[in-house]
Amino acid sequence: MAVPERTAARCQRCGVVLYQNRPASLVRVTAFSLTALVLMGIVNTFPFLTMESNGIRTELSLVRAARELIREGSPVIGWGVALFTIIAPLAMAGGMLYVCGPLLVGRAAPGARHVARWLGRTEPWNMIEVFLLGVLVSLMKLGKMADLYFGVGFWAFAALMLCMAAAVAGIDRNELWDRLEVAEE
Amino acid sequence: MTPHLPRAIDQGLANCHVCGKVSPVVLRHCPRCGSALHLRKPASMQRTVALLIAAGALYLPANLLPVMTLSELGDVMASTILQGMAEFWRRQAYPIAIVIFVASIMIPLIKIVALVWLCAAASGKVHSSPRILGRIYGFTELLGRWSMVDIFVVSILVALCQFGAYMTVTPGPGALAFAGVVVLTMFAAMSFDPRLLWDRLESLKAPDPTPPPPDRE
Repeated sequence: MAVPERTAARCQRCGVVLYQNRPASLVRVTAFSLTALVLMGIVNTFPFLTMESNGIRTELSLVRAARELIREGSPVIGWGVALFTIIAPLAMAGGMLYVCGPLLVGRAAPGARHVARWLGRTEPWNMIEVFLLGVLVSLMKLGKMADLYFGVGFWAFAALMLCMAAAVAGIDRNELWDRLEVAEE
Repeated sequence: MTPHLPRAIDQGLANCHVCGKVSPVVLRHCPRCGSALHLRKPASMQRTVALLIAAGALYLPANLLPVMTLSELGDVMASTILQGMAEFWRRQAYPIAIVIFVASIMIPLIKIVALVWLCAAASGKVHSSPRILGRIYGFTELLGRWSMVDIFVVSILVALCQFGAYMTVTPGPGALAFAGVVVLTMFAAMSFDPRLLWDRLESLKAPDPTPPPPDRE
């Protein structure tokens, strides 16, 4: 039975959504993941947050947040932070673009099936929205201790969060795999 | 009451964990994406219980050990997650205190308790409505990652507060334990198969004359 666009099929027994037919899924995922990749470049090149206290300046960036933990003797958490805020989002956006871009013209990129299999596994470890909440909590914590300035990187990061959410929400697993099945390598 | 619905497991059909295609489990591998096929997530209960025990063991150190240490002009102050929350409450930053309380203290605890309850229900030790239990499962899967917020706060403060002798923040041993609790409960939620709750109900309703085919690798 076909599920019309913009509707969903629910499990008759427990009521959980089994499948949602999302309109223009591939175009959306391609567009948002491409935008997310561009934003990631901006986030990692421009200052994110600058703090000034007693004439000393320190800067926050995603790479620094992970690297300082590794330097301060917590390599496991440091690499975890890197995984959740840099590596997993990059893999997700890159993977989505790699799979969905060529599918728009009916082709499958080499190894696209492998990449698509890994996308689902990577998804729960992309925690950029949680990191943004962490930034807000930290701001409250630092409060009046120092002067804080938001950089371009911060706004790009907020936009990145929205783009990633939109891209992930656009994935229609059924359509994606149906198309991969018939696409030419 | 919903009418009796046919079940894929009774017909030897498996839903691919990765791509969602339904195929006969005897194929062993999904014809569409190549992943291994299982009627239910393999060793679901054992894995979930093992991960929960590990998470439970880390829960106390995660909350009792300091997650970070603040050195300010020679004064060294270690703070646990609870103290961090109390500090916000004292400064009347109530919304933030509540966010930390929910994300860092309530969600991990609720997750562990809920998954233990789900495992008990799936093995028939307690009897609850699978529909409600299924909702609880969805909830734990959705909320788990937000507990990581405190780890990010530590990483941000460590990166920002590097003012030499004037003020520095260093990560504490509690942070590793806390991150462990979050990651382990996330894996525990992923390895649990909510269909086991319904299988239990099915086997209670009518002893099946034809037992389902055994789960192959």
